Amino acid sequence: MRKYLSLLLMLVVGNMLNAQGVDTLLRSNQKIYVVTAVFTIILVGIIVFLFIVEKRLKELERK
Amino acid sequence: MINFFKQQWWKWLCAGMLIYILLAGMMIPLGPGITSIQPFVFKADSVHTFTIKGYNTHFAENNNTQVWFKAGQEYFCTISTKVISAEEVQVVFGIPSSIASKINDNNYDVVLNSDNDGTISLREALTLVKAGAIEIDSTIEAKVTGCKVEVKHNQTNAFVFPFREILYESIRNTFYHVPMWFAMLMMVIFSTYFSVKYLQTGEAVNDNIASAFVVVALLFGALGIFTGMMWATFTWGEPWPNDPKLNGAAVGVMIYVAYIILRGSMTDEIKRGRVAAVYNIFAIVIFILFIFVIPRLPDTDSLHPGQAGNPAFSKYDLDSHLRLVFYPAVIAWILLGLWFTSFIVRIKNIEIKNL
Repeated sequence: MRKYLSLLLMLVVGNMLNAQGVDTLLRSNQKIYVVTAVFTIILVGIIVFLFIVEKRLKELERK
Repeated sequence: MINFFKQQWWKWLCAGMLIYILLAGMMIPLGPGITSIQPFVFKADSVHTFTIKGYNTHFAENNNTQVWFKAGQEYFCTISTKVISAEEVQVVFGIPSSIASKINDNNYDVVLNSDNDGTISLREALTLVKAGAIEIDSTIEAKVTGCKVEVKHNQTNAFVFPFREILYESIRNTFYHVPMWFAMLMMVIFSTYFSVKYLQTGEAVNDNIASAFVVVALLFGALGIFTGMMWATFTWGEPWPNDPKLNGAAVGVMIYVAYIILRGSMTDEIKRGRVAAVYNIFAIVIFILFIFVIPRLPDTDSLHPGQAGNPAFSKYDLDSHLRLVFYPAVIAWILLGLWFTSFIVRIKNIEIKNL
């Protein structure tokens, strides 16, 4: 289930990034959306990290 | 260090500073600047009407708005200047070919003075096409060259971030992309410290702290690379331009990926700790070489500021308003890194106790 979900997510995000509209959007308003994109990347990175740490914690709890 | 990890005060400090850098970094406006001029190509010996578009500017009628065109070292005045709106000025300008032919530079800068916004400019905004055979009115020559040029080079008084061409609003990434590398560097330095401590004492705790720091350093390294690729796409035109700083950073991250793999490949605890600690000390030397030394070699040319011999963070790269957010940002991201490290260290310590 998770595999399919992540595949779907990758397809959606990939399609969004390929679209010309996103490129235009990111360049609009004096490139302010580049900052938004950068901050989103950082947030995603931190959240992925927290999930990995939680996985280890769950293993400990099982023991 | 374990006691420090369990204390609360610096976590509150970290949270407060992160909120501060997010709010201040996003809400302090960008300074005034010129974004475009239309048309951007003009011919000698004829009079043109140009529309200058500003960003965050406050043009007004009785605001001493003056416009000059600069080619080489010469300043030329406009024939007339008309303020259309707070962000738009219309100027009439022409140049006789007798004057234009004396100047080798065909690219004209636009310089604009006004009381509210100080001096703003757009470099190489106009290109002169040498054409046109009609003799220009001699009064125009007098108007264009015979004026008094008073470029004040003063700055706006408002609390703003500097307006830079190409970067524009994305200058705010200084608080989100750049501190990633500062945080990674700090994590790596802490890691080396605990590796040395492990070699001195032989306590497994120190080895665990060192490896936890490397894991968090890799998180910041990956974030630094991905945010950098995003920013580079919209400032340098491609996600991975051939830049020594970029390639150096990629190799630096790879060295620490190798540390994790090396450490994970050994099962004997004492052997693993010693090999990992010794590798870690070698790794930081190579890391600093790739990040700081190679991009500064005289024959390399980097797109990053402060490379090729110049010290970074000169007054041209960071102004005092940027610093007020940038330094807290560096501290905040480093504290966040320590916070993350504390999770891994505490989990590892429980794992050791349970074995």
